Amino acid sequence: MLLQLKNIFKWVQQGGQRVFLLKDINLEVEEGEFISIMGPSGSGKSTLLNVIGMLDTFDEGEYDFLSESVHTLKEKYRSNLYKEYIGFVFQSYHLLDDLTVEENLEMPLLYKKIKSSERKALVADMLDRFNIVGKKDLFPTQLSGGQQQLVGVARALIGKPKLILADEPTGNLNSQQSEEIMALFKKLNEEDGVTIIQVTHSEKNAEYGSRIINLLDGRKI
Amino acid sequence: MFKNYIKVAWRNLLKNKVFTAANIVGLTLAFAIALLLTMTALFELSYDQFHENKGSIFQVYYSNQTPKGSDISTTNPVPFAPALKEEVPGVKNIARALSENALVSYGDNDFNLDAEFVDADYFSIFSFPTAMGDSNKPMQDQNSVAITEEAAKKLFGTTDGIGKIVRVLIGKEEKPFTVSGILKSIPDNSSVSFDIAIPFDSHSEYKESIDVWDARNHPVYLQLEDGVTKSQFEKSTVEFTLLHNEGQMQNMKRDGAQPDINGNYAQLGLLPYTDKRFANFNSGVLNVKRTFPFMILGIAFLVIFIACANFVNMNIALGEKRLKEIGMRKTLGAVKGQLFGQFWLESLMVFLIAIALALVLANLLIDPYKTLFNTDATFANLLTPIILGSFIIGILLVTLITGGYPALLLSKLNTLNALKGKWELGKNGVRNALIVVQFVIAIVLITSTLVFQGQIQFMRNKNLGFNKEQVVSIPLNGKKDSYRVIELLRNELQGNGNILAVSGSDNNLGRGKDGSLSNSILGFEYKGRIVHSNVLTVDYDYAKTLDLQLLEGRMFSKEYSADSLSMVINEAMVRELNEENNPLSTRVYFDEDSVAYNVIGVLKDYNHQDISKSIEPLTFFLDRDYELYYAYVKVAPIDMAKSFDAIKSAWQKVEPNAEFLGSFLDENIDRTFRREKTMATIITSGSILGIVLSCIGLFAMSLLVVAQRTKEIGVRKVIGASTSSITILLTKDFLKLVGIAFIIGTPIAWYALDKWLEEYAFRVPLSIWFFIGAGLLATLIALVTVGSRTMKAAAANPVKSLRTD
Repeated sequence: MLLQLKNIFKWVQQGGQRVFLLKDINLEVEEGEFISIMGPSGSGKSTLLNVIGMLDTFDEGEYDFLSESVHTLKEKYRSNLYKEYIGFVFQSYHLLDDLTVEENLEMPLLYKKIKSSERKALVADMLDRFNIVGKKDLFPTQLSGGQQQLVGVARALIGKPKLILADEPTGNLNSQQSEEIMALFKKLNEEDGVTIIQVTHSEKNAEYGSRIINLLDGRKI
Repeated sequence: MFKNYIKVAWRNLLKNKVFTAANIVGLTLAFAIALLLTMTALFELSYDQFHENKGSIFQVYYSNQTPKGSDISTTNPVPFAPALKEEVPGVKNIARALSENALVSYGDNDFNLDAEFVDADYFSIFSFPTAMGDSNKPMQDQNSVAITEEAAKKLFGTTDGIGKIVRVLIGKEEKPFTVSGILKSIPDNSSVSFDIAIPFDSHSEYKESIDVWDARNHPVYLQLEDGVTKSQFEKSTVEFTLLHNEGQMQNMKRDGAQPDINGNYAQLGLLPYTDKRFANFNSGVLNVKRTFPFMILGIAFLVIFIACANFVNMNIALGEKRLKEIGMRKTLGAVKGQLFGQFWLESLMVFLIAIALALVLANLLIDPYKTLFNTDATFANLLTPIILGSFIIGILLVTLITGGYPALLLSKLNTLNALKGKWELGKNGVRNALIVVQFVIAIVLITSTLVFQGQIQFMRNKNLGFNKEQVVSIPLNGKKDSYRVIELLRNELQGNGNILAVSGSDNNLGRGKDGSLSNSILGFEYKGRIVHSNVLTVDYDYAKTLDLQLLEGRMFSKEYSADSLSMVINEAMVRELNEENNPLSTRVYFDEDSVAYNVIGVLKDYNHQDISKSIEPLTFFLDRDYELYYAYVKVAPIDMAKSFDAIKSAWQKVEPNAEFLGSFLDENIDRTFRREKTMATIITSGSILGIVLSCIGLFAMSLLVVAQRTKEIGVRKVIGASTSSITILLTKDFLKLVGIAFIIGTPIAWYALDKWLEEYAFRVPLSIWFFIGAGLLATLIALVTVGSRTMKAAAANPVKSLRTD
């Protein structure tokens, strides 16, 4: 098992009352799954994804990731854990505008303290695999949205993560670009065995996955 | 990783060109100026530190209790030094030193050199480096002198002059001396400077004063034996002082002086030689204050503070643009330490660039700086390991704090909020505090500038009681008899209709081109009590030449043959003598058995000394036995430059071998407040720089605030707010800060300036308008800086600003 959420609660205090963002979430994810999280705005999709990605904390419950109890870990170890095993893809790509495509890809490796020669090899590999060698010296603003997201995915993959978390990865893309990205996810899932959890609004995109989780008001339905 | 940081940092700096430029320009200016100021301050503090025995060298002074309170004198009678060494144990070396100009001749050439008449011990006490000759004894015997390399060059055309014989005019005759030592140039940071050292007992007045205890004319320096402390020695001189000053003390007691806490009427004191430059005796007690160097250091610190405050504020402001980057880096696994390192490195880069540029700039500015601020300081003063070390540590600390604080704030951000671009800082406490402090500094500096300039204008425009615009004073530095020179000048200039009068005296007004300042004080008994007066020997026409106003009686005149036994006094002297009712009937006996001097005239008080001093009693004599040292020539107010040239050519005819050093009195007066002018220049430049830097910071802040409130502005406009109401809303916050700064800054400025002005007997009143002026100026500057930005934001189309969300 890759990860397990047990009775996760998350709330904020508003006017003396608890407003629940996540309510009693139980979730088990096996390696190699492709899960889509769906639900209306404000249902807690992104919050759940962030909790899984360890970017956000929760108030109650247990979270085991590769049999480590995340809820007891200190920030530094948590950070080590997710930088090792998790890659993130965002709706608005979140590429660093000041870095070229190549440098954006290299960055996660820098934080993993990988040697220069090895970094070069991995980046070249990834550029090759995504067919963006010709764009390696361009800055993100010089690319189309689809191409930027392609780089985003490549960056998420470069650290060879076990899990990719994608928060509406196609939200800013047109339908053709969307299809390409989703096809890419499917291929990664099937051929490389990468576990993927995506948040999406689109039924069509959700169907690429092997399992759909529906949320409403922070509760799994 | 490091390379990546540098790369990102570099691109970031390029991206925010305006801010980067503002920061680098600000920091460069601040560092360059701070460097120059620090250099000056350290130079000031290094005064006299080069003497190897500096810890045990002292100057002797006396605290005398007079009926008017305590009074300090640093001059001593000729027999004092030998007697002190003989009678009080603990003196290792002691030397008398009398500074005078001396006419030194070699071959056919005469040179007017700065001479120091000193005892042989002088060179054992002080460590003036020698180039040639015995370094402990550059002045071998009674018939030899030591000269500096510059003087040797002047005299002989080469720096080697050992064994050569020069003639020195002692009194009215020339005496030969052998050059037995060549000194390297006297270091710039020495309080004493001279061209030639001559044995003390060769001085023209030495022989007649050898046993005279009541004429004082020279300072005495001594080196204590190892293990003898200053206070021990001072205590052990009580007996000595009693023995040699009995008469004076009894007079003081009789005239109603109060003894000091130990019951003494005179107490010998030792002034550590390294404090000499900073010692002040004006108030009657010894006061050692290093105000000037520390004030300069203070300004340097303030300037750096302002620039750093800008840097902190701008970096926090810019951090907002980088929230996404911070969030993303955290998502990719960056930990706090790494982010801190990255941001700090960026700050460090800016600082290093600024420091490098500052070093270049400071080097470029050093010459104009030295002229403008009238200092001999050089970077060489800074090149000691301690100073360099503390400089590097200082820079590191400054970058650590200023670069580190924003870095810390940014690295602490929550990942998700950063990704969403949420700025959690909320409160602007630090930012506002920094702006307030900046403006406090600016307001204090502006006020000081206004007051300093006010005081200088006041001193410059003050009616001193004599005509300073039309009178040229000429130091009589030639070989001829001074009365004769003046007579010859009179004859030479007689035909010139623009020359109104010629006279002479034994003292200058203000500081002339010869650079010397002196005063002679005479004490005598009058009607059973001791009175003191400054004395001035003058030639005929003195009052006429200087436009001095005669209140009663007459001036000296050739028609009265007995005028050498007459005296003219000023109003202050009338009061000192207590003869307000009928001053002209005053008769004075200077010695018990001497003839009487009659007061023949009373002159209106005029500032015969430094303007910082109140007008002291002054007595004029006409006595041909005393030399004159300055000629005065009054010219008509037209064609003054031409008249000046005429005086110069007349001089060259009369004294062909002596340099013409004449100057108008107003120049001389200006030279006496060179220190004030230097201080005013430093403070003015400091305040201008402070204002410029504060404005850069304020401008950057207004950019940030406008950016932060874009949406609010848009919403307000959509609801119906007018452009002007929004401008006011945005500007108000800044003006509030300036207001707070004004409230804090004004008392500080008032206190400091009031203290400073106390040093001046004649001072500009500390009017409220100085402060209001500074406040208004600061407000105006803030308004202009912030206003341009806020008005633009307020006028913008709200649709645009709302669309950004």
